[in-house]
Amino acid sequence: MITAQARDSFERIFRKAAQARLPIEPGDTCEIAPVGAGDATRTDAMKGAQVVVLTISSIVFRLLLILHFDENDATRGYYLKDDVERPFQEVFLEICNLCCGAMNQELLRYFPDLGMSTPYVLSAHCLPYLRELNPDFVSAYSVTLNGSMQLAATICVCADAPVDFVADTSAMEETSGELELF
Amino acid sequence: MIQQYVLATVAGSAVTALLALAAHKLQSARLIARLRAEAQASADTLKAEQSDRAEAIREPEQAAQHLEALAAQLRDELAQQSASADELRAALKAATDDKDQWAGQAQRIAGEAARLKHLGATFERWHEQMISLMTQNHDMHAKNQELSSIVRHVVIVSLNASIEAARAGPAGRGFAVVASEVRALAARSEELSKSYRDSLHRNDLTITSTFQDIQAGGKMIAASLASVESLANRFSSTLH
Repeated sequence: MITAQARDSFERIFRKAAQARLPIEPGDTCEIAPVGAGDATRTDAMKGAQVVVLTISSIVFRLLLILHFDENDATRGYYLKDDVERPFQEVFLEICNLCCGAMNQELLRYFPDLGMSTPYVLSAHCLPYLRELNPDFVSAYSVTLNGSMQLAATICVCADAPVDFVADTSAMEETSGELELF
Repeated sequence: MIQQYVLATVAGSAVTALLALAAHKLQSARLIARLRAEAQASADTLKAEQSDRAEAIREPEQAAQHLEALAAQLRDELAQQSASADELRAALKAATDDKDQWAGQAQRIAGEAARLKHLGATFERWHEQMISLMTQNHDMHAKNQELSSIVRHVVIVSLNASIEAARAGPAGRGFAVVASEVRALAARSEELSKSYRDSLHRNDLTITSTFQDIQAGGKMIAASLASVESLANRFSSTLH
């Protein structure tokens, strides 16, 4: 139901959004490597004990962006820096929101009717049940920030009708940090 | 002789008189002929003038007739033009009425779209129910963890009971059976607890994905209605 070029487009849109929004500093590196398709719903194959779930809904499909994380010293240190005032999850959920917002903005070029949910934190043990949603496309990635900070991501797309589009992700990413309109 | 002379004179006079008379008659005839010719010429001239005058009188009459015909034609045309102007005026009025009606309808559509945008609040209310359901799920997770911890404790207690029963020798044989049964029950409880935990995780994902879909769908609808409102407003302002 989702064509190969549409799958590729979803993947490229995710990569572009993740590289633009997940690093906290513009100069930080962000390496994204695909994890085997069969491992996409295996919690042991994916880093992170918790996941942030966000949904982008359209008339014909819904896309779940799932970002895996461990609330350990490395992750806290990377995202909080010296900020002791704000709770880690608040900061991290905002980052996830920006990442999903960037995907939403990109998808709006091809699907005029889209809406995005607010983020919610679940246990990574929930992921094996993604298959209960009868997804048409599931893809998982490991994300390494600055060579050491580990995250992971899963994209899950459930379609009610054929989905076919080719995303043009060649445009240079604008400077990060501006207000997202979504 | 004298008589001859007198006769000759009289005859000469008579001849002269006759000649004079003839000359006079000739002269008169010429004069009459000239006068007749002049009279004829005058009559002809008059006739010609009369004819010209008649012609001159006929021309204005014809012109007047032509003008009357023209005036009648113009009157007809004016009547037609005025009828078509009335028709056009009526059509214009109908078009203006239609335009006002469309503008009113466009404004109503914009108003309805603006009103329906508040549906977003309904979707947010549903989403809040998700938070409530997830809180209940968290509560059940905690209770299940407590149950799992109790079951693990029961397994340890049953194991200790088995050890104590073995120590008691033959007297503890019955107790060993009970301890074994308790351990078997604890193992079944542990399985049930794991299965219950898995069900809760599945519920967590189903609830979250469903309610997020509702929330995102609500925002999608609100955005689409905002677009309809903007289009209707633009249409309305074009008509005004």
